[in-house]
Amino acid sequence: MQVKFEFVIYDETLDKFEQDDNVYLLELNDEQILTYNLLKDKDLYLYNWFQESEFFITWIKENVYPQSIGKKIAISVIDDILFLRFYFFKVTSGDIHYEYFKKLFDIFHEANWQDREEVGEQILERLLIKRRELIIELKEGDTKDSNSKTSK
Amino acid sequence: MDYKYINKMLAEMDKDLSSKGLSRRDAMKLAGISGASLIMGGASSAEASTEAAPAVSTAKGKIVIVGGGLAGMSTAARLTLNLANPDITVIEPQALSVSYQPGQTLVAGGIWKESDIAYKRDDFVPSGVKLIKDKVIGFDPNNNKVTTASGEVVSYDYLIVATGLQLDFERIKGLEAAGRAYSSGDNSKLLKVLGDSGVCSIYTAEGATKTWEQMQKYVAQAKSGKKTQFVFTDPDTPVKCGGAPKKIVYLTNSRLKEAGARENAELTYYPNGGLMFGIPEYHDAILEQFKREGFKWHYRHNLVEVELENKIAVFDSKWQEKGRWDPMMRDFEVIGKHEKLRVPYDFLHITPPQIAPREIAESDIGSAGGWIPVNKETLQHIKFANIFAIGDIAQVPMGKTGGSVRKQYKVLVDNLIAKMEGKKMPSKYAGYTVCPLITSIGTVMLAEFDWTVKPTPSFPLDPLVERWVFWLMKVYALKPMTMYGMLSGRA
Repeated sequence: MQVKFEFVIYDETLDKFEQDDNVYLLELNDEQILTYNLLKDKDLYLYNWFQESEFFITWIKENVYPQSIGKKIAISVIDDILFLRFYFFKVTSGDIHYEYFKKLFDIFHEANWQDREEVGEQILERLLIKRRELIIELKEGDTKDSNSKTSK
Repeated sequence: MDYKYINKMLAEMDKDLSSKGLSRRDAMKLAGISGASLIMGGASSAEASTEAAPAVSTAKGKIVIVGGGLAGMSTAARLTLNLANPDITVIEPQALSVSYQPGQTLVAGGIWKESDIAYKRDDFVPSGVKLIKDKVIGFDPNNNKVTTASGEVVSYDYLIVATGLQLDFERIKGLEAAGRAYSSGDNSKLLKVLGDSGVCSIYTAEGATKTWEQMQKYVAQAKSGKKTQFVFTDPDTPVKCGGAPKKIVYLTNSRLKEAGARENAELTYYPNGGLMFGIPEYHDAILEQFKREGFKWHYRHNLVEVELENKIAVFDSKWQEKGRWDPMMRDFEVIGKHEKLRVPYDFLHITPPQIAPREIAESDIGSAGGWIPVNKETLQHIKFANIFAIGDIAQVPMGKTGGSVRKQYKVLVDNLIAKMEGKKMPSKYAGYTVCPLITSIGTVMLAEFDWTVKPTPSFPLDPLVERWVFWLMKVYALKPMTMYGMLSGRA
């Protein structure tokens, strides 16, 4: 089974993310497919699993961004699951993103008086922290257990 | 509890009931509730009767409560019941700080007099509690000290902040000279600015009386055959009792109908938000009531200016439009638009913007928005573990009503005593609040809800139905429950 990935590159100086327009395919083994299917309906659990998995980091370092030690990236798409809102949310973003973040960050929107813009600012504030949790820094280290095939 | 007072209220209630051919027992049967709960306001009766003998803690520590309104004084009272050796100081400058604010709508509707809701702070200071009649103007949480306006420095081991909020009339252009006001106390500056202009607000006790005067004047104008515009506002800040800006619409409507003047009046409600109420079920019910009564409403309008001489209210009118495609988000943007809208009025009821007092907002204990940032369940300050906040000043959602305080003060006392004993804090506030929404003179929809954003009725009755029995509860039962139940620390 192949999983489609897209990434964003984090520019620390500008504190900004830039979309990498390429799509990368990762081949999962049977055990990984089981885990993937178990987590695919829980977007951040799925993200965390990949982020914490050695095979995934190895694949990135060897196949996606080789010779890029020190580079900071984040996953923006896994198959049809979009994480773009974490990096590119704006106060003017659509309602669906507001609903997602209000639930995720437990933001209570008192819609009988509160402006949408005020809630948007609260979301952006929380995202400053959340984004840091999602960033993957490519570091020097063991890359022998790749356990996967890739194509671009 | 003051049984003489309750008996007097019951006698008045019986008189009202008998004029409609009902006994009190019949009324209770109609409501499907017990006598005690009718008097005590829902679940509170059980709580009041079972809390007569609370566990007393031997924990020690100097507790300072800044603010002696309903929240501060009820908390002080409950602490005296729960601590064997209480060392409590309340700092409160207003002589009428414990006045019954939920009654201000009834004063504005001509049902009560201002004297019916005026209560003296000094009559409600719990035995053994020290009172400092001064205002705290400085907070030094790193050294556990507060400073009063007269320069007195008061140290504490534990601090409870219950200052309430301020009514920010000065933010509205044209009313700058009104300054900021509190619900009780001297609001002569505000009254002077508003004068006899048709502009009023129920958010102060004196203002409620003034509202009744102005309401009568413009009801009479409508009765004389002149088309009369009644305009009601609701701001872009949290407000005390989210139902109050609508209650005054309903009361005005009742008085117009009673005078046979309704057909000459147009009642228009301008809320900043996009809903009538934050709870969908109550929003829907209120919307139907507005349609039934022929009110007009315009969402997303925030009052920014009043031209007193021209009798024009200026609103910031807001709306949203579908924006451009955002390729990064792979979705369309939503663009906020706004413009100024000038609305002529004869009678203008202002629900003022409501904010944290400067001395809190500008201190280390306030948040960027001014309110005191607390854990919304434990009410403990998020930075200073020996500080708690309660009532209007605490940064908790939907928490600015007396009904919220009735739940919060028990949670706070449990948690503070646990903290003093070095134990884990046991109690959690779940966001309960209650708004007896007056929908006419004689009917109330009892809106009870919490952070589940669902109705949480205390009675086995459809919470969306307007009932006379809840009107009786609002007019006769809730005040004694508050003044003698809560302020004694028991209900």
